[in-house]
Amino acid sequence: MRPVGYHRTAAGRAGAAARWAALVVAGGLFLLPFAVLLRDGWSALPEVFSADVEVPFARSLLNSTVVAVLQTAGQLLLCSLAGYGLARIPYRHAPAVLYAIVATLMVPTAVTFVPSFVVVSSLGWLSDLRGLVVPGLFSALTVFLFRQHFLDFPASLEEAGRLDGLSRWGVFRRVVVPNSTGFFAAVAVIDFIGSWNQFLWPLVIAQDSDTWTVQVALSSLLTAQNPRTTLLFAAAAVSILPIVLVFVLLQRYLVRGVTETGLTGR
Amino acid sequence: MSGRRAALAFWLFVGPFAAGLLVFAYVPIGWSAYLSLFDARNTVTPTAFVGLANYADVLTDRAFLSSIGTFTVFAALVIPVTVLLSLVLALLVNQVRVARAFFRSVFFLPFACSYVVASLVWKMSLFSGVDSGVANTVLGWFGGEPQAWVGTVDPPLYWVVLVTARLWLQLGFYMILFIAALQRVPAHLYEAAWVDGASPRWQTFRHVTLPGLRGALVAVLVLNLVNAYQAFDEFYNILGDSRGYPPFARPPLVYLYYTSLGSGGQDLGRGSAGALVLALVIALATVLSGRVLWRAR
Amino acid sequence: MGAELSRRSFLAVAGLLGLTTACGSDTGREGSAEGTLRHWYHAYGEDGVQDAVRRYAAAYPGARVEVQWNPGDYDSKVLTALQNSAVPDVFEAQVKVDWVRQRQVVPLDDLLGGTREDFVGTLLESQTVDGALYGIPQAIDTQVLYYRPSLLERAGVAPPRTVDELVEATRRLTAGGVRGLFAGNDGGVGVLTAPLLWSAGLDLLSEDGEAPGFDDPRAATAFGKLRELHQGGGLLLGAPTDWADPGAFVDGLAAMQWTGLWNLPKITEAHGDDVGVLPFPRLDDAGADSVPVGAFSAMVNARSADVDAAKAYVKWLWVEQADHQVEFATAFGAHLPARKSLAERAESLRDGPGRDVVGFVTDSGRIASPARWPARANTALSDAVSRIAREGAGAEGELRAAVEVAKAEIDRQDR
Repeated sequence: MRPVGYHRTAAGRAGAAARWAALVVAGGLFLLPFAVLLRDGWSALPEVFSADVEVPFARSLLNSTVVAVLQTAGQLLLCSLAGYGLARIPYRHAPAVLYAIVATLMVPTAVTFVPSFVVVSSLGWLSDLRGLVVPGLFSALTVFLFRQHFLDFPASLEEAGRLDGLSRWGVFRRVVVPNSTGFFAAVAVIDFIGSWNQFLWPLVIAQDSDTWTVQVALSSLLTAQNPRTTLLFAAAAVSILPIVLVFVLLQRYLVRGVTETGLTGR
Repeated sequence: MSGRRAALAFWLFVGPFAAGLLVFAYVPIGWSAYLSLFDARNTVTPTAFVGLANYADVLTDRAFLSSIGTFTVFAALVIPVTVLLSLVLALLVNQVRVARAFFRSVFFLPFACSYVVASLVWKMSLFSGVDSGVANTVLGWFGGEPQAWVGTVDPPLYWVVLVTARLWLQLGFYMILFIAALQRVPAHLYEAAWVDGASPRWQTFRHVTLPGLRGALVAVLVLNLVNAYQAFDEFYNILGDSRGYPPFARPPLVYLYYTSLGSGGQDLGRGSAGALVLALVIALATVLSGRVLWRAR
Repeated sequence: MGAELSRRSFLAVAGLLGLTTACGSDTGREGSAEGTLRHWYHAYGEDGVQDAVRRYAAAYPGARVEVQWNPGDYDSKVLTALQNSAVPDVFEAQVKVDWVRQRQVVPLDDLLGGTREDFVGTLLESQTVDGALYGIPQAIDTQVLYYRPSLLERAGVAPPRTVDELVEATRRLTAGGVRGLFAGNDGGVGVLTAPLLWSAGLDLLSEDGEAPGFDDPRAATAFGKLRELHQGGGLLLGAPTDWADPGAFVDGLAAMQWTGLWNLPKITEAHGDDVGVLPFPRLDDAGADSVPVGAFSAMVNARSADVDAAKAYVKWLWVEQADHQVEFATAFGAHLPARKSLAERAESLRDGPGRDVVGFVTDSGRIASPARWPARANTALSDAVSRIAREGAGAEGELRAAVEVAKAEIDRQDR
């Protein structure tokens, strides 16, 4: 953004050097924890999946994958449908419904984990995949973002679909969704990372070790009386591998998701 | 299309979500309000009505009040540093020409890491109490005595551990928000400032960049505040152990966890009352901070 | 506006929910074969225990038993599970009055049969509420003060027989990278609270169990000693492993460590003859030496899908299988068997420090976690002790607040 010519001055060159130095130092600090993780866990990597591990670690990786995939897919489906309905269907009470949905944003879900626990345990969903996945599907924030996105969607495209004889569902599925893949991908990446990394809810719901997610498994090892450090580091390194892959491959969508949606997942 | 058909279509699209939200957002809050009026220890279907006693209990409980205090300290430490450093990172990354994407990725990568993994690295390695811990090694270079970081209460060194962990995890995220805002500042404004003879660094920043960042600044502050309120993961994993949790640095969610589900009494009535009080506080804080910051521009 | 929604959109949504439901039953506990019993243990630190208990479970002829190993905050997990879950069917814990009053656990008196006299009486009492037995003791655990006689000699310190001597020894043994005492990374708040009360002639509960036992100015004096320990600089904090693991003592990070008898094999392996043991010393002549005695007991969840099957399994393992009980108590770490007839089969306790500890348990053993001691009272007391010892808060005020909480909780228990 700098005007041409600025870098040619001596002050400009000194400034540029200082900026580079700052970036390199900061970058080193940011990478240090990853390096430490690998250094301390490297020797135990082959043991991570052996039967000797105190917790069912492989199972927990599988659980996390299933939970993250189902939660991401389910949230995309439910929230995009709702967002589209709110943005495009001229229903008398739509504003009231939108208001009721957005109002729940005032109370962060993490704060209501006690009441949610009560409901989920009453449904008999403790230590059950349903208890881990279903309550997380209904994100008011995601609905709101989808609504904003669909409000900006070009009406002319929809009109064209309609002239081709598509139903409202047909328009949504064949016109709106295919033309919003970037947005869907952005939301999906953020959702997936948030779901993979969530901790408090699975800690409360997954009592039975067969339903532990990888974060719960790691945490139970970390807060144990005598943590087996090397193994723990190796397990942690394995646990961030899938998410680093998602990060590296889909970073474009991730950045877009963050900037366009402000979704945090935390 | 007729009103009834529109209604039908609307509910087919919105209904599934709305039903779920009803069951998993409205019902819990309602049930919680109900439980908060009962002595609900070890049960979700209590019978002993106690009126507002749980609220009185929570609001006079030192542990709850100090959890709000803990949050305040934590927010006061984390928020200003986060805003400042994420802005600095954004400016730095935005101004380099070579390897910009690389640096952006490096700073953003921790966002993909979980709080549990970060807690592990921070507790067991970076700030481990043994002499060979990374922080103690660095201290040693400068002739400092090794410290038991997590276990030192006086002075409260554990804050160093908690705050740096959160900074590492979230700075990249806020940096991205700032970068996005920076790139929306129209280039012609910079040129105009250049032509006007503004001293390139500070004045351009003050009069061109900063005004363009106000929206992002408000977003970063409010998100930061709400997220700090909900801190749980790193506190639980760094300070908690197999016996429970120490009485210091206990943020609100940790208090609620141990009160209602942990070894602190399985008291869902008091836990529900605390959750509702906290929800109210957060709702107010969000609205107020948003309003105040927005007006201040 | 066109033909509107096909039924497919509805089906898609229904399908999603159906899908998650199906997977739920796949991965949830219903996935286990019908009649499987779930048995929870906390994570024992000694090598081999996990293999052993899985082996016992596999050998049970009456049903399929799945063992769950629980590192981390086990107490919280058990409490939450008992509240609303049919899992676990069987678990180890120490009986709490609240669980009995809420009918979360079932009486097990009928499992003992003719063996009742064989179990150590005080242990059975500690697992008994309102005249019924709710847990079958598995093995006796105790904790003692381990020290290295050679290090004490070199520093010119005698083995501490009073709390003041312990404070002094901790200070003087600290030199050259070795700290005087390790009692957990919380500086003894967790494990020394009860022994400090006993050292002053007090207790968690009064003798009749109807009131807190530390509503006394001497409690402040006792916890003030823990503050002195903290200020003396000789306490090891931030060790890689916590008090229940012998690591700090074995690796020479501390000259003395408060830890479990179960670590005796590892400790003698590391230091050979250079190991001494002591009970927690008395504050003064009005107090007493002590070692905490506890027994994890096998209990049955009242919400279990098959309470009778769970009871039958507990009877098989903890009443009938004497060989398993002996192996469990003595093969991996040192524990005392919970039954008199098995006591002489514990070879590691026949001589040396092991024999000393048996003497401590007989002479000065105290029940560490009484059934009538409420969880919330425990939190209040340990919070108070933490503030006194670690942050230097005023002892009288902190303890008064804890006494109030404990009184209210104890009264509530009997309502």
